[in-house]
Amino acid sequence: MSIFMQLIVSGISVGMIYGVIAFGYQLTFATSKTLNFGQGEALMIGALVGLTTINVLIGQSLGTFTAYFLMLPVVLAFGALQGTVVEWLGVRQAIKTKSEAGWIMATIALGIIFKNVAENVWGRDALKFPSPLPEASLSFWGIRIQPMEIAIVIGALGMMLAVEFFNRRTIQGKAVVATASDRDAAGLMGINTSRVITFSYALSSMTAAFAGVLVAPVTLTGATMGAVLGLKAFAVAIIGGLSSGLGVVVGGLILGITETMTGYYVSTGYKDVPGLVLLLLVLSLRPSGLFGKTTIKKV
Amino acid sequence: MLEVKNLVASYGKVQVLHDISLHVPEGKVVALIGSNGAGKTTTLRAISGMLIPESGSITLDGQSIGGLPSYEITRFGLAHSPEGRKVFPTQSVRDNLLLGAYPRLTGARERGDVEADIEHMYDLFPRLRERKDQLAGTLSGGEQQMLAMGRALMLRPRVLLLDEPSMGLAPRLVQEVFSIIARLKRDNITMLLVEQFAAAALEVADYGYVLENGRISVSGEAAMLKNDKAVRDAYLGGASSSH
Repeated sequence: MSIFMQLIVSGISVGMIYGVIAFGYQLTFATSKTLNFGQGEALMIGALVGLTTINVLIGQSLGTFTAYFLMLPVVLAFGALQGTVVEWLGVRQAIKTKSEAGWIMATIALGIIFKNVAENVWGRDALKFPSPLPEASLSFWGIRIQPMEIAIVIGALGMMLAVEFFNRRTIQGKAVVATASDRDAAGLMGINTSRVITFSYALSSMTAAFAGVLVAPVTLTGATMGAVLGLKAFAVAIIGGLSSGLGVVVGGLILGITETMTGYYVSTGYKDVPGLVLLLLVLSLRPSGLFGKTTIKKV
Repeated sequence: MLEVKNLVASYGKVQVLHDISLHVPEGKVVALIGSNGAGKTTTLRAISGMLIPESGSITLDGQSIGGLPSYEITRFGLAHSPEGRKVFPTQSVRDNLLLGAYPRLTGARERGDVEADIEHMYDLFPRLRERKDQLAGTLSGGEQQMLAMGRALMLRPRVLLLDEPSMGLAPRLVQEVFSIIARLKRDNITMLLVEQFAAAALEVADYGYVLENGRISVSGEAAMLKNDKAVRDAYLGGASSSH
């Protein structure tokens, strides 16, 4: 029983990372009906920029904890900039010309370019990311948990709640929601919808970069870290539904927990299989996702 | 005040508007009537920038707004309550009204007292006050129409474009909509009104334009159009036109 609980607890923090990246997919999909297929690379390059920044700060004889917090705004700003570049180079033209698939290739291509840049700047080896919290596990009723795993859950939920708060409480956030529901009508309100779309790309990559520095202390950092995370988060976005914030949290947890369960009870070699089976099931039985909304239009 | 000259607009390769010219003077209500597919909605869409016109000029208070994107046109004080209402279904009634004041809240237009204007909208449309925290998608068709009009008015517009405010409403609600338009007119709000109920539209309007296959066929004072035999036969359902 305690092993079972242990697997659930370990699955939760992995799942929250998937959830927060999937949340990033939703942000751009809501406003533009396009996705950044380089989302995993946004996470990776954010984590590497974070690594360099935190090492510079530690070199200034700051403590790891302080350095981590000072590094966050740099990483968030970098993520926002990176997302803006992706939107400008890869998505804007495709939206303007109403291209169905142009943005898919363009965002994949930009992702590959970011990966190559990372390999040249940071090398091909996985690097250790300094942990701001003690790495020794805490034990609760026999269940072991790393402090950083708790930080991941808090950080991921905090990021999503912050965006939700922005969307509901500020006029700029309301403009984002309006653009997501009806771009034409939002334009009539005086909202510059193409700027809103750029903004959602910036916010989406910022979320990914933040997820990168959240997960980096418990994994390793390197040019290849993004690809698998990006793909699994994409599965989570499909499982949870591209329109539901709750969906990505639940979808992320489902995937994270089934992975640790399969890894323990079946074989680590098969740990990616159940999530992908779930993805296929959802796609065939409920294509809008477990929590996907079917829009009701009153006439 | 709003001046449209020789407007030409197309959807793809199909030209829909041919050489439309019309004038909406300050403080007046102008009705644009015509059968389905005549180009009434397209005319409004071209004026508000939802559709980029091919040629012609559109000026508001002497400033050219033709060809600008709709978000920039709102800064000149042009509000458009579009066909199908297009309220934001996942946001509350109050948020929809706030979004109508977006240019005021973000410094693109003079701010004024936004909260007082929301209260004013609740006075004008009491149903909206009752439902102010409800999601707009849960409102009835009539309530959504009230919301769409209120949202457009939140701009404090120089001119208001109203597209088929009575569409799909029960007769009692149609009357209510027209009495609100009459009240807005008394408040000196300049309006360009597109309506299928031509008789009621000409009743409230000062001037009217009849659109036929994308061209203006007849225009003049509303009182005159109401008595024009051709207009009556085609759009007012014969002799009796009282509403």
